Amino acid sequence: MTPPPYESDESLGARLRAELPRHTAPTHVRAAVAAAAAPARRSTPWLSPVLAAAATALVLGLVFMPMLPRFVHPTEQLVRSVVAEHTRTLMWGSRHSQVIPAALPWLTQESGIGLRQVFAGDDALVFVGAEPVYLDERRGMALYYRDGDGHLLTYVVLPFPGMAILDRWRVPIERGQSRYRPALLRDEGFSTWVWRQGDLACFLVSDMVSAEDAERFKDYFVRVRRATDPVLAQ
Amino acid sequence: MASGDFQRAALEHLDALYNFAMYLTRNPPEADDLVQETYLRAFRFSHRFQPGTHLRAWLFQILRNTFLTFYRLRERESALAEDGVPTWDVPMFHDAPEESSSAVEAHTDLERALRRLPEEFRTVLLLAEVEGMALEDVARVLACPVGTVKSRIFRAKERLRGLLRDYAKE
Repeated sequence: MTPPPYESDESLGARLRAELPRHTAPTHVRAAVAAAAAPARRSTPWLSPVLAAAATALVLGLVFMPMLPRFVHPTEQLVRSVVAEHTRTLMWGSRHSQVIPAALPWLTQESGIGLRQVFAGDDALVFVGAEPVYLDERRGMALYYRDGDGHLLTYVVLPFPGMAILDRWRVPIERGQSRYRPALLRDEGFSTWVWRQGDLACFLVSDMVSAEDAERFKDYFVRVRRATDPVLAQ
Repeated sequence: MASGDFQRAALEHLDALYNFAMYLTRNPPEADDLVQETYLRAFRFSHRFQPGTHLRAWLFQILRNTFLTFYRLRERESALAEDGVPTWDVPMFHDAPEESSSAVEAHTDLERALRRLPEEFRTVLLLAEVEGMALEDVARVLACPVGTVKSRIFRAKERLRGLLRDYAKE
């Protein structure tokens, strides 16, 4: 149909209504829509509010959980401080590095800890330095070693009578006749051996966290543990 | 409105919605999908429908929004497909290109002209003139002020007249 040159709005509207074919829904669409409607009739009106409430509670829990005070085991807390000290040394070096045994009297006086025997390094670990530290309101001592690959190891001794070590943290280590069961804790990408010697808590920290480093780190623990005997200074 | 009443009332508009879907998609399989998707959404979100408002406008609004959502998705997907993204397992409307073999042919100049209008103009004419909706309801479907609807109707008709004139000269 040829439109007139100046068709009015009304006549154009009328043409749209009259001339455009109207499509009716096919039977299969009608059936599908009706089928979709059927389950809704059996819907449980209480389900939506219950699910919404559960989802809200879950979201609120996830949002506020990090804000809730979390119990931190005192040993873990101390390990965090030791790791922080290790990290500080990695980044800026030790503050008052001294060479044993020349500085031993001064170190004992400042740290309150004496060393009856000390691991001064060997073919695998090189002694780097020693200094007094103050961590978690405890005076102590830190010794630093470096291995052939450049890993820094920090050995820290702090007074902590009765420090608890959970059984699940312990790792059995056997070297010849010697058997040890230190705890291995991981924090901030560092591994820390934790053990007791009398009333002292001992820590050995390194960034050796991979599976292949684990055996070497065990070996370093044994070297330091065997050759170091700290005691509370009188 | 009770659930059963809502569904019965909604089903009364099935033919009108299907007609609108056909003019939007120009393709029966796509129109089938669009209408079914519209009803699924309407039933799922029936609690959001405010009794006393126009159910018809609400359903048309769902249909158009669904169409625009999938249409835009299809456009993005087709662009991605050139980069090697597989074209199978794609959502609604992705199976058939715009002018597939199943697309309905335009038989009259009026249909041809209507097809060439942008979606905003085509929709406003279909709703206001073909479906006879009140301007307020059209505005609700399009989510725009009534003034915009009036303006679009005016411009759509101008464009339609121009196209019809061109066809008359051919």
